[in-house]
Amino acid sequence: MPALARVFRDHLSSLMPLLCLALVLGVFTSMNANFLGVYNITSILTDTAPLLLVAGSLTFVLLLGCIDLSTGSIISCSCVIAGLYISETGSPVMLVLMALMGVLAGLLNGLVYTLLRVPTFVATLCTSAVWQCAALLISDGKPKGIPIKQWSVINWSKFTLFDLFPITFLVALGFLAILFFIQNRTRVGKSIYAVGANEKASRMMGVATTWTKLAAFTLAGVGSALAGVFYAIKLRSSLPQVGTPLTLMAIAAVVLGGTTLTGGIGGVLRTLVGVLLVIAIQNGLNLVGVDAFWQQICFGTLVIVAIILNADKSGRDIIIK
Amino acid sequence: MANSASLPGRGDLTIAEEFAQKIADERRHNQLMQMVPGIILASFAVLASLFVGGFFTVTNAINILNQISIPLILATGITNVIIIGGIDLSIEGVMGFCASIVTLLVLNKKNSMDLGVLGMALTVAAGTFIGFVTGVLHVKMRIPSFMVSFGMGSVITGFGIMSYGGKPATVEYALFPAISQGSILGIPYLSFMALGIFLVGCFIQKYTAFARAIYAIGDNEGVLRSTGVNVDWVKIKAFAWCACCASLAGLFGAIRLNRGEVIIGQGNLFTTITALVVGGASLAGGKGGMLESLVGVVIVVIIQNCMILLGINPYIQEAVKGVIIILAVALSVTRGKKDFVK
Amino acid sequence: MSQSEPEKPVLFSAERLSRYYGDFGALREVDLTVKEGEIVGLIGENGAGKSTLLKMIAGVEQPTAGQMFMQGRPYSCRTPLDANVQGVGMVFQEQALIRNLTVAQNIFLGREDHFRRHGVISWQRMNAAAARALAAIGMGSIPPEKKIWDLNFASRQMVEIAKVFDIVSTANPGESSLILLDEPTSVLNEAECQLLFQETRRLRDEGHAIIFVSHRLNEVLALTDRIYVFKDGTGAGEVKTQEADAQILYRMMVGHATTGQYYKTERQNLREPEVALRVRDISLKGIFREVTFDLHQGEVLGLCGVEGSGNEAVCSVICGDASPSSGTLEVAGTTFTSFANPAEALRYGILSIPKERREEGVIGILSIAENMIMSNLKAACSAGVLSNRRVSQIAREWVGKLRIKCGQVSDRIMRLSGGNAQKVVFARAMISKARILVLNHPTRGVDVGSKEEIYTLIRDMTNLGVAVIILGDTLDEYIGLSSRLLVMKDGQAIRSFDCPPDAKPEQVEIIKYMM
Repeated sequence: MPALARVFRDHLSSLMPLLCLALVLGVFTSMNANFLGVYNITSILTDTAPLLLVAGSLTFVLLLGCIDLSTGSIISCSCVIAGLYISETGSPVMLVLMALMGVLAGLLNGLVYTLLRVPTFVATLCTSAVWQCAALLISDGKPKGIPIKQWSVINWSKFTLFDLFPITFLVALGFLAILFFIQNRTRVGKSIYAVGANEKASRMMGVATTWTKLAAFTLAGVGSALAGVFYAIKLRSSLPQVGTPLTLMAIAAVVLGGTTLTGGIGGVLRTLVGVLLVIAIQNGLNLVGVDAFWQQICFGTLVIVAIILNADKSGRDIIIK
Repeated sequence: MANSASLPGRGDLTIAEEFAQKIADERRHNQLMQMVPGIILASFAVLASLFVGGFFTVTNAINILNQISIPLILATGITNVIIIGGIDLSIEGVMGFCASIVTLLVLNKKNSMDLGVLGMALTVAAGTFIGFVTGVLHVKMRIPSFMVSFGMGSVITGFGIMSYGGKPATVEYALFPAISQGSILGIPYLSFMALGIFLVGCFIQKYTAFARAIYAIGDNEGVLRSTGVNVDWVKIKAFAWCACCASLAGLFGAIRLNRGEVIIGQGNLFTTITALVVGGASLAGGKGGMLESLVGVVIVVIIQNCMILLGINPYIQEAVKGVIIILAVALSVTRGKKDFVK
Repeated sequence: MSQSEPEKPVLFSAERLSRYYGDFGALREVDLTVKEGEIVGLIGENGAGKSTLLKMIAGVEQPTAGQMFMQGRPYSCRTPLDANVQGVGMVFQEQALIRNLTVAQNIFLGREDHFRRHGVISWQRMNAAAARALAAIGMGSIPPEKKIWDLNFASRQMVEIAKVFDIVSTANPGESSLILLDEPTSVLNEAECQLLFQETRRLRDEGHAIIFVSHRLNEVLALTDRIYVFKDGTGAGEVKTQEADAQILYRMMVGHATTGQYYKTERQNLREPEVALRVRDISLKGIFREVTFDLHQGEVLGLCGVEGSGNEAVCSVICGDASPSSGTLEVAGTTFTSFANPAEALRYGILSIPKERREEGVIGILSIAENMIMSNLKAACSAGVLSNRRVSQIAREWVGKLRIKCGQVSDRIMRLSGGNAQKVVFARAMISKARILVLNHPTRGVDVGSKEEIYTLIRDMTNLGVAVIILGDTLDEYIGLSSRLLVMKDGQAIRSFDCPPDAKPEQVEIIKYMM
């Protein structure tokens, strides 16, 4: 019996998000029967795609026990660049190019953190300002639609498999699969867990802590940049402030999925659940006609509540600043 | 003792003396670092006067005094939070929220409220309460302060927008324009008030046990705990005071605009943090103070002022502040290898 | 002095005081008496129980058994504050001062209310009171309005003493206090030490009692009236200082040598000619200087010294955890001035097994298998892809080889007992294929059975040619395990002993150089 209780306790943290998801789906379906309709599910999955890219890769940063507050600005910047690029030429080289921009952005975060030893929340808050500035400068502060003659270039994004799964969602799932592979089947993945769980010990064990951190931040940068491209394609325009609310939403998705802020516990599959949860809540709130500012209140509260629920209660004597 | 005498006498310093020397070097380094912000301020002022057209004029001086007021109030509050090693990312939100609700509580075009000064007091009380909640969540639920305040900032911004429902209220309360337009010797009332709040902050820092506890927490929390001081309560008070100042700043913003909007807060967080770290405060805690914050605020406002005078794109200004913060923090970080930053 | 001794009343006494951590007894059934106007010295090897005893008297830790009395009344305290109120104050080794506050503010930290009028603190009155408190220990020359970080180290130490003494004496006006000094001299120079001693004696002459802990025997002999000797967590006797000398104390401190069989000395390697690591003149400013030695393949080199002698710092330099300020390390034909980090050291085959197992040795929330593989993830990779099956397979293999008692290898390592967790750490060291191991207290917090297995493991590894540097828990362990001993004192390597299996040196011989 105690063994059974232990099994239950061990898996409670991973079951909780799923239970929450079921609860949310149930509540919104009862409020509006269309919520689980095919059309709305496709809509939810379309919305999920870009957030999945950001939150999935952000998971690694949180697994380290760090934070990245620059994801939103990187999304904005890459959305602007991608939008303008598609308007001009629109070859698929763009994806590679934007991924490179993500590498650059993530690496910058990582270097400021590891080399200059600036705490990550400050470092990324500051680089966030830099990318936001770039986004505003490039776009001149105004949103700009992609001209209709170029729409053919991005028509592929309209495709939905079985009339249910949008291609963007499938691509995001593919990206998540790569992240899952990195998490479980590479040395970097294992090192991220080790450094997040106990940096001191990992260092003494000979884990290359600096490289590990750089890798995690770089991945987060790439995920954010690709998400920006997805937004440009989805909204058919370059929006210099599209990412602003996404920083918080991505963090909310990761922590709601069950990855702790202290590091070492969690994973990208949990984040998938977290993202679905966040998008379902957002979509449901829209569907039942709740104003946009409520969503801000809602996600702020959710982040705090999720952190309280996830918190590792064992380290009572650790000073938290 | 016999064996210690048999030690070969190498060099001219013993290990203990070497250690003492290390401490002395550290001390010298600290003293030097303390002077840096002052030197930066002086050189900036001189350089700006020489090379920036329109900087060294009476109008611009008044302009600077005007621009200083809000960052100074915010810095007054957040200094204590930074000294304990925490951070409050919600000050923009609190500011915007308070600016929004105060316009709804005094005589305005949107609703029938007319509470006057009481409305302003209520606003500050509400703002202070938000800081109290942030502090309690941080301390009792053991969530890092940046995370709580980040979430809190979002929540409170939402409430701010909700309060006026998309269309900001215009104030018709006569006191607002009276304050915003009044001036003595050309210096606006608001700047004097900001200075007054700053002096209150100085008083708290100089004459209360609270401020001693703040410094002690920043340097070594355990020592303070062992003397029996209620450390948690001190921290909560620091966050409440920070939010109190932020709500006063929001009030000022509303008075100046005669209108309440959430965006009044925008951009202030960055300016304030920049000011603090440039002034010499350490994000790891323990260093900084009101005077340092004042120097920092003046430096940042001068930089901002020059960028405006030079006609630099406002988008770039934020990025510049970001880079300044990174540099200032990187310089202040101790070079010790052993402590872990997250 | 000695004539009046019998009349002095007892201030503090402890009876059969014990402190157990699980099965491990850090202190077992210790008796102690301190009279008013007396300086009592505590001496013993590292880990003999002195610090544990002080912590219990000062309220930092609670005894698991036994009783304490203060002025005849039963005495117990749950916090240092509690102890202060009852007349006991401790000056901690690592200073408990807030560096960015002034001397006066530090002395009265948490007690500002006495100086408050109308909500405002009067610094004048606080500074005046601080000056009085400093004068009370003869330190009137320290300005109360100076910030701590503007003081030199010795003055900080005196401020600390003034603070503790003031807290205790204001809480118990007119009564004798008990002040505990834990290694107060470790970073003071000769003149500063003399000053400290002078003031300590003055406090004694005023009727207060002092317990003084130091690794420096000459200081203990010079300052104290009576000395308690500790050994392996128990009292090994007490002696009047007048009747003691260094030789007597050395004899009392060392224990019986254990048989060579316990440490498997019969499997001790003869010195191989190949040098695994050459250490040349390495120094770390303010910690140790000009340490030079060769580490041969297959040998166990013991680096012994008391706490603060610099032996731990030498180890952290060798395993890449710290950078020396000068000197070179030569390993595998390459010369280094320092390793960038432990990862680089590991690339050249150097791995450390740290002292604090929970903080540095294992990653508590990861599994046993992951902990084992973490120093050599490549072992479970093929073409860059990690095989989790291979990880578990390797782990199970080593769990069997080292007879680690555990459920699944996927269990979190924090569920294991100390001994089993340490065996996992050793498994990790062997999987890492490191050729040089730095073992920092490898048997700390480990039960007796596992201890013996760990000794066997060390012999197994050295027989395979691995070179080992060891920091031991006891002198007995040092001598038993090592093939060579390097004694460090005050940051210098002062003596080296060969320890062949058949002619191990006596403990007394070595402790002479350590203290």
